[in-house]
Amino acid sequence: MPGPGDIEPTVRDVVERALRAHGELADRGESVEDEWTYVNDLRLAWADRLRRLVADGSGDLPAPPAMAAAIDLAIEEIARIEDPHRSIDWLSTFPQLVGLAVVGTRR
Amino acid sequence: MRFQDAAPDARTVVYAAIQAEPIVARVAELLADAGPAERILARAVMNGETREPDRWRRMVPALFPAGGPGSERTEAILAASLEVADRGDRVRDQIRGAIVEELTARLVARRVGPEAVRRERRILFDGVAAEIHPYDVTVERDRSAEAYDCKWGARGINEDVLHQLDDAHRHAADEERRLTVALVIFDASLSCRVRLARRTAPRDGTKLVSIETLDALAGMAAPPPASAPVEGSSGR
Repeated sequence: MPGPGDIEPTVRDVVERALRAHGELADRGESVEDEWTYVNDLRLAWADRLRRLVADGSGDLPAPPAMAAAIDLAIEEIARIEDPHRSIDWLSTFPQLVGLAVVGTRR
Repeated sequence: MRFQDAAPDARTVVYAAIQAEPIVARVAELLADAGPAERILARAVMNGETREPDRWRRMVPALFPAGGPGSERTEAILAASLEVADRGDRVRDQIRGAIVEELTARLVARRVGPEAVRRERRILFDGVAAEIHPYDVTVERDRSAEAYDCKWGARGINEDVLHQLDDAHRHAADEERRLTVALVIFDASLSCRVRLARRTAPRDGTKLVSIETLDALAGMAAPPPASAPVEGSSGR
């Protein structure tokens, strides 16, 4: 929750945080050498999908607290994934959770 | 074209025990009635590290208003998914695979009736060497048959499985029989398309059922072909 004087994040801000976390997740998945290409294909495809969440102008709106909290928790969840194989599995699940948070809490 | 039980070996005996675990049927039944968001929640929880239900509730506010309890079904899905996640990594991988198979069988049975749905069956064609791997789910009817290969994630899509499904489809056509073949992937359609985009195996006759289109198995909509292009991506 933002405190007094804090600037309330916009939807774009929280989606950008999710994009950075997704990139770091892909970095971990890259260590599975046989799946390097697949991991990077997923990285690009899902980054594009995440950016589309805010392509309609809604990105400049303040992020509802439930949206920001949901996305931050999802970021914390994927930060706990150490196994690169599980990281690959999360490359599609994480953006889906982010999508649910954005769409499900829009004002 | 004819169907045959797969010959039991050590792997199938061990896996049969996994398939028979009550949690498999319980989760499959819940997911058969679930909506898209609940299926995504289940996939995340079964794939996740967090065992605290409240964190998951706050992570998916669309299903848990104000971070409080969700509907009875959503809560049951969350609890059962946490139970799966709580198993050791290797066992939970097997249980998750078995859940996708059981879910597929239950959804298909809603359309064709349970008596037509079989598990772990091989398909034999005249003059063609039999495939080693059985199909996870088959529908065996005189007028039309179906064969499904089920995977937890898009990463499970490989050349071998695509060739096996395409071969079966073509051999059935050679015998003037109708055989629908499909991949059922408990993963996002986008990830499946990304995976398929670099596969070279033929798949024109293979359907793709993703986490978003599972209800097509029960006849609510036709699944798209696996040969459809990646949608919504500038990364291809």
